[in-house]
Amino acid sequence: MTDSRRIQTIGSDALEEAAEWLMSMSDDDVTDTQKADLATWRNSSPEREQAWRRAELLMSKLGSLPASVSMPALDRPNDPDRRAAITRLALLLAVGPALWASWKVGEQQGWTADYGVAVGERRELTLVDGTQVVLNTDSAIDVRFDADQRLIQLRRGEILVQTAADHLVPSRPLRVATREGRMQALGTRFCVREQAGRTYLAVLEGAVRVEPVNAGAGVPLIVQAGGRASFDARSCSPISAVDNTATAWVRGMLLADKMRLADFVAELARYRRGFLRCDPAIANLPVSGAFPLSDTTHSLNMLVQTYPVTLNTHMGGYWVLLSAR
Amino acid sequence: MSELVSAPLNQLRTVEALYSGHHGWLYARLRKRLGNAMDAADLVHDTFARILASNVTVFNEPRAYLNCVAGGILANWSQRKALERAYLAALAALPAPEVPSPETRYLLLETLHEIDAMLDSLPPLVRRAFLLSQIGGMKYEAIADQLGVSLITVKRYMKQAFVQCLALVE
Repeated sequence: MTDSRRIQTIGSDALEEAAEWLMSMSDDDVTDTQKADLATWRNSSPEREQAWRRAELLMSKLGSLPASVSMPALDRPNDPDRRAAITRLALLLAVGPALWASWKVGEQQGWTADYGVAVGERRELTLVDGTQVVLNTDSAIDVRFDADQRLIQLRRGEILVQTAADHLVPSRPLRVATREGRMQALGTRFCVREQAGRTYLAVLEGAVRVEPVNAGAGVPLIVQAGGRASFDARSCSPISAVDNTATAWVRGMLLADKMRLADFVAELARYRRGFLRCDPAIANLPVSGAFPLSDTTHSLNMLVQTYPVTLNTHMGGYWVLLSAR
Repeated sequence: MSELVSAPLNQLRTVEALYSGHHGWLYARLRKRLGNAMDAADLVHDTFARILASNVTVFNEPRAYLNCVAGGILANWSQRKALERAYLAALAALPAPEVPSPETRYLLLETLHEIDAMLDSLPPLVRRAFLLSQIGGMKYEAIADQLGVSLITVKRYMKQAFVQCLALVE
C-alpha cells in the first residue's frame, strides 16, 4: 500500500538507479572514477539525491546487523498461507464487506490451520473424542468432527494418531486426509507424514485403510500393524515393515540404524533452521545411534565425536557443512 | 481508545453488535490455535480495534469476516514471534564475550523487525540471495553456486530486493 505511494514520490527510476549503484559499489575495489560517477549521478537531481540518502540509510541498517544472530533470525521459510493472510487483511479492512461476498469461495479453509507447531517444536493434543495427536516439527492440522466422520486434515508435516472409541453410536470413522489422499483408522495407532507431494504412513497398532485421491478402481489398500507404505495422489507403494525408528520423534529422539549420513542430515535438518548439508563425498557413511531432536547442535557434536567427520560452521551456526575429517 | 472517539456512531453500534455476538467465539478459536489465553485475548482486542479503525460498517456473515481479519492479524503476530524466537535462540548460542548488551540486543531486534518487514513480500530465493550477500557478506558468484542459479539471476534478485528495500526504508 504505502510502498507504491513512496515509489511515486521518489520515482521508481531513481530507486532502480540507486539499486544499481549499490550493486556496483559492493565490490571490494571501487575505483575513484566510480566514486566520481556516483557523485555526478546523485548531484544531477534532487530525486536521485533523495534516493541515494535512502540507500545510505539502508546500508547503515544492514551494516549494524551481526551475521551470527541476523542470519538465523531473518532466513526463515516464507509461509505462503501466512503471506496470503496478511495481504488479505489489508484488503479486507480497506474494502470491507463490499467485495467480501465474492472472496468467500477461496476462504473455506479459514486460517492457516487449527493447530500448529514451529520448527524444532512438538505438541501433544487430546481431541474431544479422546483421540490423541502428537504434532512433530513444523506441522499443522485442521480438525473437523461432524455427524458422519472425525476428520483430521494434515496440512503439512507429521503426526502420530492414537484413536479412541467414538462416544457417538453408531461410531463415526476417524480419517486423516492429506493432499494425496485419505486414511481411515480401523482402531489404531499410526503415524502420518506429508513431504514433497507424498504421504508416508506407518501403522503401529490395528490397521489403516488408504485411499489416494485419484486412485483408479480397485480394492483400497489396507496396511496392518507393523506395516508401512507411502502414496501420491494416484497410487500406493508396496507395504514394507516398520522399524522402531519411525516414531522415536515422539520421545524427542532421532534413532539411526546404519542410516546414510545424507539421509541422517536431511532428517535432522527438519528440526533446525538454516543450511545443514553434508559433503557428497561422505554421503554414504553409515550412521547409528540415538540423537536428541530438541538440541540439534548437540546431535551434530555427538556425530563429530563418533565419526570421522568435522563441522564447518558459519554465521553463528546458521550455516553448517559436514565434511570428512 | 482513540478509535472510539473518531468512529461514526452507526459504525460503533455495528462493531459493538459484532463484539457482543462473537468475541467469545473468536477468543475460543484463537485460544485453541495458540494454546495460550493471554495471547488470544490480545489478538481478539487487536482484531476488533482494527475493524473499528477501518470504517467498515456492514457485516454479512460476521464470523467468516472476523475469521479472515483475525487470520491476518494472527499471521502478522506469528511472524514477529517467529523472528523473536529465532533471534533469541541465536543469541543463546553465542559465546559469552560476543553477547551484546541488553540495550544493543533490543535495538538489534527492532532493526531485524524493520528488515524482515521490508523483505516480507519477496520470493524466497530473492530474499535468501539478498541475505547471503548483505548479512552473510558472500560474493554474488558464491551465492549463485549455493543457490544453484546463474550469476545473472543473482544480480536480478539483488536488484529486485534493493529496489524493494529502498522503496520501504525509513
